[in-house]
Amino acid sequence: MNFKLLYEISVSLLLARWKQTLVAAIGVTFSITMFVALLGFMTGLNDLLDGLILNRTPHIRLYNEIKPNAQQPVEIAFAETNSHHFINSVKPSNKGLQIQGAGAIMQALKADGRVLGVAPKIISQGFYQVGTTDLTGVINGIDVVEENRLFKFSDYVVDGNFLDLQNTPNSIILGKGAAETMLVQVGDVVQVTSTKGVKIQLKVVGFFRSGLQDIDKVQSYTSLKTAQKLMGEGNNYITDIQIKLKDILWAPDMAKEYRKLLNIEAVDIQTANSQFETGSKVRTIISFTVGITLLIVAGFGIYNILNMMIYEKMDSIAILKATGFSGSDVKSIFISIAVSIGLFGGSLGLLAGFGLSALIDQIPFETASLPTIKTYPINYDIKFYIIGGVFSIITTYFAGYFPARKASKIDPVIIIRGK
Amino acid sequence: MEHTIIEAKNIIKYFHDPISIQVLKSINFSLNQGTFASIIGKSGCGKSTLLYILSTMDTDYEGEVLIDGVSMRGKKESELARVRNEKIGFVFQFHYLLNEFSVLKNVMLPAEKLGKFSQKEMEHKAYEKLKILGIENEAYKKPNQLSGGQKQRVAIARSLINDPIIIMGDEPTGNLDKKNGEIVFNIFKELAEVYNQTLLIVTHDNEFAAKTHRIIEMVDGSIVGS
Repeated sequence: MNFKLLYEISVSLLLARWKQTLVAAIGVTFSITMFVALLGFMTGLNDLLDGLILNRTPHIRLYNEIKPNAQQPVEIAFAETNSHHFINSVKPSNKGLQIQGAGAIMQALKADGRVLGVAPKIISQGFYQVGTTDLTGVINGIDVVEENRLFKFSDYVVDGNFLDLQNTPNSIILGKGAAETMLVQVGDVVQVTSTKGVKIQLKVVGFFRSGLQDIDKVQSYTSLKTAQKLMGEGNNYITDIQIKLKDILWAPDMAKEYRKLLNIEAVDIQTANSQFETGSKVRTIISFTVGITLLIVAGFGIYNILNMMIYEKMDSIAILKATGFSGSDVKSIFISIAVSIGLFGGSLGLLAGFGLSALIDQIPFETASLPTIKTYPINYDIKFYIIGGVFSIITTYFAGYFPARKASKIDPVIIIRGK
Repeated sequence: MEHTIIEAKNIIKYFHDPISIQVLKSINFSLNQGTFASIIGKSGCGKSTLLYILSTMDTDYEGEVLIDGVSMRGKKESELARVRNEKIGFVFQFHYLLNEFSVLKNVMLPAEKLGKFSQKEMEHKAYEKLKILGIENEAYKKPNQLSGGQKQRVAIARSLINDPIIIMGDEPTGNLDKKNGEIVFNIFKELAEVYNQTLLIVTHDNEFAAKTHRIIEMVDGSIVGS
């Protein structure tokens, strides 16, 4: 009812001590700025580091594992009899790594509404021959276009064009580490020997750099066809099916479903990379803690200034109460002072936080292991701005609440008679 | 029969700190409309204490206070605030003006709290009250630009703004020199006689009290003559 009047009184009290008020507001501004910039920067880094693995890792990977049969023939043969059998030194069965009926499986997966894309892959061991020494390596046969669409393959190709892998027959993209060891340039030819004994001359059309040195030293990519040739297999030979889903969170359940349905090994990204999630979580928690601590400190600043203001304005509070303002009116006045400091400081802080983020975004950050990153990564998620804004109002409200309650309880008789 | 504005029934008050002392001993009196009354007595006789109980600001007492025929017992803090706002005008020894606001705004504050009139009407009323007190020319100054006497007149204008049924004063001339004290007294007298305003003023100035309609004398927490 009297909101306008109470607001007017708050504003005049605010302006009467505008220097202190400004200092309090700057405290809030500073903490919100740091909160937003810190979280933006931290989550930017998190996204970058997670992206290193997560972007390139399929949400679900289907493959065959070399392992002993769960049911040995003898068990099946004598299943009906009441006999007991003992088998010594069971060996893995010679089923091979090939996924049977890969084409049909992929067709079925592509028809699944939850699946964003499917890319086949052949993982094979091999040797790169340099002079008289052999370097061990892992040669991945990929569907170049799909691999790039789903897993941003081109981001990691630092020299050469990734499409040459598809366009040039018998070509290879070597890991940067491996290339350096072998002293080869783009355009050179390397000889690769597979575990099956097949020797092929492959033309180097590019290098890739994943950001993880151990991978760069051993991995290389060829087209599916080249890999099939290297393995001495036909064109339906595929060892892995990589699936990218529309929502990463569906992965564990869908992996379970596929394992049952296709009778094949299926591993989801959460299981395969649980350590990354833990790391991101811890970093986010730390940033939130620091940000909120800053805000609480700013809240104490407001608390002090309001307390001082109340001591100074004791007379005004007394006369307001004597002339008919109730305790709750006085309380509203001081709370609205606190909240307007919070609103003013907070909104400035959000702007400054955005500015600081934009500034950090311009700072060059070039590291050999991250070829696509040129400046420090920043996450501009609106979520942080909303949390920062809401928190600035909540903390200033509580910083104002206690002094305001004190002011509302001032007994005008004591003040007036004390004169 | 004249209308009774305020009535005190059997009011008893103790101070508990540092030791229990009975400051008011069964006070009974009533005040009719248009009376200019003063309460006199020595320091510590309980006259100010009585005034603050009558004003509803002090609620820690025994007995009953009736303002305009309504008992103040058992009312909530916000209801008492409303009563003070609407029915009682205060003038204290010190003016208690808010330096952040203009004189006019200071006078208007209680009216704005009451919220019965439009902004225009309130401004007009405040200006009228300042005119009665002869300080309408100072309306747009800040209180700290005025002299002590002028400030006290602004405080009186503020007490009048909601047309209260009673004006209470706690030594309103105590801080003023003789000339300004006289001016304030004449204003009170005019309010009582011309506007039929009820006034209850605590003072230790016997000369001041002698000129009022009714003198209530207190000794040691009791009324000895009125």
